[in-house]
Amino acid sequence: MSELSFQRDAFVDGVRRVFPLAVPGAPFGFVLGVLIAEEELLPSFASWASSWIILAGAAQLAALTLLADNASALVVITTVFLINSRHAMYSAALRGRLSEYSIATRVLMSYLLIDQQFAINETAPELESPTLRYRLWHYLGAGALLFVMWNVAVALGVIGGNWVPESWGLSFAVPLLFGGLLVLSLRDFPGMVAAVVGATVAVLGRTLPQGSGLLLGIVLGVAAAGFLAERRGDTDQEVVA
Amino acid sequence: MRFWLIIIGSGLVTYLTRASFIVFGDKVPLPPVVERSLKYVAPASFAAISVPLFLGGDGIAGFGEDIPRIIAGAAAAAVIWRWKNIPASLVVGMGLFWLLG
Repeated sequence: MSELSFQRDAFVDGVRRVFPLAVPGAPFGFVLGVLIAEEELLPSFASWASSWIILAGAAQLAALTLLADNASALVVITTVFLINSRHAMYSAALRGRLSEYSIATRVLMSYLLIDQQFAINETAPELESPTLRYRLWHYLGAGALLFVMWNVAVALGVIGGNWVPESWGLSFAVPLLFGGLLVLSLRDFPGMVAAVVGATVAVLGRTLPQGSGLLLGIVLGVAAAGFLAERRGDTDQEVVA
Repeated sequence: MRFWLIIIGSGLVTYLTRASFIVFGDKVPLPPVVERSLKYVAPASFAAISVPLFLGGDGIAGFGEDIPRIIAGAAAAAVIWRWKNIPASLVVGMGLFWLLG
């Protein structure tokens, strides 16, 4: 395993590359912390701990809201599963690039498969050629920064939330972040179709139970783009496959 | 105690979604057409997450209230498209949102 020993420049590159994507997550974490502090029905420490146990803000927010409403365990866990099921698709999309690492390494990398992590792995062309060792430490550097910034932001929100008025609308940073990731991920016409279909279905399906409209939007968006790409004959890998 | 169990259960299912193909299903064969379609997971996911947030949640009746968010979002998107700079887009987007909202 020594060929995968710590590589400082890769780690630093990972931190630096993900930093601009981690910054907009901080206000969201902060707002989440404020909500935790305000919601006196919930134990604050356990709610804060949920930010590293779940490590996915939208699902965490949904879970805490439902718990404050006295929802059943089944409803909470099903909701979290549906909101986070997009990670299974990230997982499928990245597995080819991670398949050469040991099981133990992949167990750790899976934990840090955060939205922004997926975004840089999908959009940074620099990551396609470097060595296995470089990509591992780049991934862990990015994951470490996202992990630390997120948990610190939530903690700051829990502790000092009263100083920031709600009228600042800090939570608007969340749609701005994901809108930005969307723009960065658009590279061809089928990708735009994926976005339009995904967004339309997610908007129309907003009232579906447990946030399943999100999952439905992603699945149908990917399916529509995949179908279109096949029809257009973008099948350059056909021979290999 | 119940609270902790539910949180840990939520963490567990979240982890399982992340590890699904990387750890457990790394050998599960997917049809080639599905493999090729996976490169569209990123745009489909990020659009399905972000667009409903810009549109508030009140449907067509609440569209007027969404206009500042939509303008701010469009300006932020333009900044990213042109300069690939997320922090700059955040400054522009939040700034417009405060001015118009």
